[in-house]
This record gives sequence, C-alpha cells and structure tokens, in this order.
Amino acid sequence: MNFRRWKMGSPETIKRQALKDFAEFISPMKVRTMRSAGIDIIEEKRSGACSWDITGKRFIDCQTGSGIMNVGRHNPEIVAALKQALDTYDIGIFLLCSKQKADLAKRLAEITPGDLTCSIFGVGGGEAVDAAIKIARGFTMKTGIIYADKAYHGHTGFALSAIGRAAYKESFEPLMPGFTMVPFGDADAIRKAVNKDTAAVILETIQGEGGINIPPEGYLAEVRKICDENEVLLILDEIQTGFGRTGKMFACEHWGVTPDIMTVAKSLSGGIYPISATIFKEEINDFFIPHPFVHLSTFGGSDLGCIVGLAAIEYIIKNNLPGNAEKMGQRFRAGFDRLLKDYPDLLLEVRQKGLMMGLQYTNESIGPRMTKKLSDRGVLAVYTGNDPSICRLMPPLVITPEEVDEVLAALEDSMKELSGEKGIGKND
Amino acid sequence: MATSQEILNALADYQVNCNENKRLRRMQRDWTKLLHFNAEETGDWFTMNVINGEIVSFSTGAEGTPDIIVTTISENLCDMFWGDLNPSQKYLQGEIRVKATQEDVVRLDAITMIIWPDA
Repeated sequence: MNFRRWKMGSPETIKRQALKDFAEFISPMKVRTMRSAGIDIIEEKRSGACSWDITGKRFIDCQTGSGIMNVGRHNPEIVAALKQALDTYDIGIFLLCSKQKADLAKRLAEITPGDLTCSIFGVGGGEAVDAAIKIARGFTMKTGIIYADKAYHGHTGFALSAIGRAAYKESFEPLMPGFTMVPFGDADAIRKAVNKDTAAVILETIQGEGGINIPPEGYLAEVRKICDENEVLLILDEIQTGFGRTGKMFACEHWGVTPDIMTVAKSLSGGIYPISATIFKEEINDFFIPHPFVHLSTFGGSDLGCIVGLAAIEYIIKNNLPGNAEKMGQRFRAGFDRLLKDYPDLLLEVRQKGLMMGLQYTNESIGPRMTKKLSDRGVLAVYTGNDPSICRLMPPLVITPEEVDEVLAALEDSMKELSGEKGIGKND
Repeated sequence: MATSQEILNALADYQVNCNENKRLRRMQRDWTKLLHFNAEETGDWFTMNVINGEIVSFSTGAEGTPDIIVTTISENLCDMFWGDLNPSQKYLQGEIRVKATQEDVVRLDAITMIIWPDA
C-alpha cells in the first residue's frame, strides 16, 4: 500500500482498513480486545496531554505507554531537536566512541541520585534490565537474583526471568536459573532469601504493572541495608517511575535510597526516539575495564537517541515537570477522595505518588468496564496487566489543571453510570 | 428462561464445535481447566472439564474446585454456547461475570473468536 492510497477515503474507512490489516497481519486478538474495551483507537494527531483518533475524537492520554510521554505527546521541542540532529547525524556506529553518548551519560550522572556515574545504553527497558543483571553477575561473580512478586521488568531474557507474573513466563520455560521471587514490600523475605550466591536484588521502586504498589515506609532503606550487609547489589528499575513521574526526578529520592544500578527508559525517549540506559556506580565500571566489549547494542544509545534523550531531560528540568507532577497529583487526589466517598461499591483504594496513580476497584470486571466508559468520554486509561481490578493513570506530566478536572469528571460520570449496572461491588 | 436441558444441549453443540476445530485445539493444547457455569436466575450449575484444550466432559451440578466461574442468566448461557451473542460485550455490560485470571478471561474470548469469528 503506498502512502497516497493510505490517505484516501474517509477517516472511518481508513480506520476500518487499518484495524482489518492489523488483525490480518499482526494480531486478531489484540484488535478484538481493544475493540471490546472501546480503545480500538488509531492515533493520528498528538499534542500535550492529548491524542486524537483518526476520526477526530480527542482523548486525554492517561496511558502514555506506561510512562513514555512525560514531556507530553509529540513535544515540539523534542521533535525540533531530532529534526535538527537529522540534518547532520544518523544512528552512528556503535563500536566507536561518540560525543552524543558521552554527553548523555554525563548528564545522567548529574541528575541521578548519589554516586551513579556510569552508563551503558540500550533501546528499550528490557534491554536495560538485561544489562543490569549481566553487570551484577559479572561484577559480583555470583549468580543469584532476587526479584519481587508482581514485578515487571520487560520481556527479554534476564528481564523476563525477573517478572513476577507466571503468565508471561510459563510458555517459555526453562528461563534463566538462579532467580528467587519474594513478596514486594517484605524486607524480611529478602533477608531470608539472600545467600552467599546472591548477586543482586532487583525491584521496581514503585510497581507499575503489578498495580501501582507503593513500597511501605522504611522498606527500601531496609533492603539497601540488607544488600550492604551481604555485599549484594541493589538494582532499582525506574523505567516507569523515572524523570519526574512521581514528583521527584527519580522515585527512589522519596525514600533517600540510592541503588547500585538504576535502569531508565520510557520517558528518556521524549516519546520520540527509543533509548534506555543502565546507570551504575563507578566501582562497578571496573568490571568493564578488562571486558570493554562484553555487552554491546547496535542501536542502543544511537547518536540520534542520545540527542533526543538530552533534549527530554532538559525539557523536564526547564519546565519543572516533577513539580507539576506533584501539584497535579494533589489535584487528582482531591477528586479521588470525593470518588472514594461517593462510590464505595466501585472504588476501594487509591495508590498514588505524584502522577503515578492507581485506582483499586472492587472487582476485576470493573477495570475493563471503566476503560470502555472512560474511552467513551475521551479519556484513555487502561487497567493493569497483572490485575484488571486496578486502573493505571499515568498522564503526561504537562497535564493542565483543566485537563485533570476533565479526567475527574469522566471518572465520576463513568462511575455514576456503572453504579446502575450489574456486577459491581466486592462480592459480585 | 432456558431450561437445564436446553443448556445441556447447547453445551453438547459447543463441545463438538470446540473439539472438532483443529486450529482451536492446537491453540489451546496447553489449557487444562475446570469451569463452572451458573444460571443465576434458575440456580442451575454446570461443570465443564477441559484437558489440553479438549472438552472431555460436561455435566449438571458444580463438581470439583473450578478455575473459572461464569455467572449469567440461563438465556445468555445458551446463546453463548450457540454463538448467538458476543460474550465480551455482555461482560463489559456486567451481564456476564467471570471469576478467573485475566489470562483465562482472554482465553475464553479467544475461543469465541476462533469458533464464531462474527459473534
């Protein structure tokens, strides 16, 4: 199909054909699931906190690919940075040293907490986690990895082995050996699981896919202590929580804990060009001195990706997006409190840190049903993969007070409608 | 309202449709589950046993510990097994309730898609 032909026909016709082709050539079940949930959207225009379906329907994006779009959709400053870079650069040759890579690594060292100073780059979050686990094993010369129940770290080799959801893993077993799962939030469980073969503990600072699980007070500090006492590395996955999402540049800063290795991705891309990074302490870099070519990525940390990553970081800092996440998070919270009071048969609990927000509904059917009702009202918000009773809300950090109010109004209207239907409440 | 016998007849047709569909059998060969179906207004229960994607038996009553419980009115059960309704749509309207893992909910929908693509 050439581009001119693609652009012919009414928006509805183009949409129908796109969904038909997607079903035929990619995934029929994905189309069916999206259609059932009312989110068979073919995105066209994107701007700020919003995107528009090809038919012209506007959505406030509270899904954002689980946190890719902190700087907003199709941010013009990031687009301009990429366009300008394209006048001179291409991806670059991964084997060579690169100014762009060096600039981004230096900036990451400046903005990450504590003494995280060295980076290696990848394309996506799974690759960053794979690298983190490889580094942990290589540096410590130990093999054991402790990870959390309901954890989500990506679908690649080492990362998949550290996912706390059997459904993602069981079709592909046997996976990597040496992985031990513990409950999230239970430091004693980690203490019991650590042994002389343990290389690292890997945790999401806040679990995203698992249902926006905020760590209990003192948990991360205790885990840090256990790791230090046992010469075990602490890996924190900030792929969803990083770059201002929770009201701080990185979520671990809320608890004053610095990991030995941190993984970032999603919003480092500015929503424009894929890039991820594994950032670690200088002493760990000693592992790479005798092994400088032991971990390579053809497209990871491409010159274009690094330029975009730097532009995204500068935009986040210049516009104080962590501050806006905190402020808009508070505005959301006030609305959620009203909903908790008015709809106890639907809404059980709110889990929130800044603009990383989860609504715990009373049963598992409500997540998909709310997704559809919210979509009907122009809000894209989808339940989490691990638990459909939890709706994840992660809007762009550039969201305005008016847009927050619009999302809250859509939530209230949807809940009002749902409360008149069958199958709500805890025991249904 | 559908009678218990009508639901059993619909289940028998569903069993044939599923078991004779080679594509479905290949897709579901790693799926072994015990399902309960509850016709809420009549109080009738039905049990279906799926082993490696094959519906090996079904019966009245709630036998064993189910992996999946589907609750709806008797007419919906018949229509669902005969492919006369879209279960996803009814699920999203709260008319069909499913107690199951998210993966199993998707599996149920996938079965419908394969045997009744137009449902």
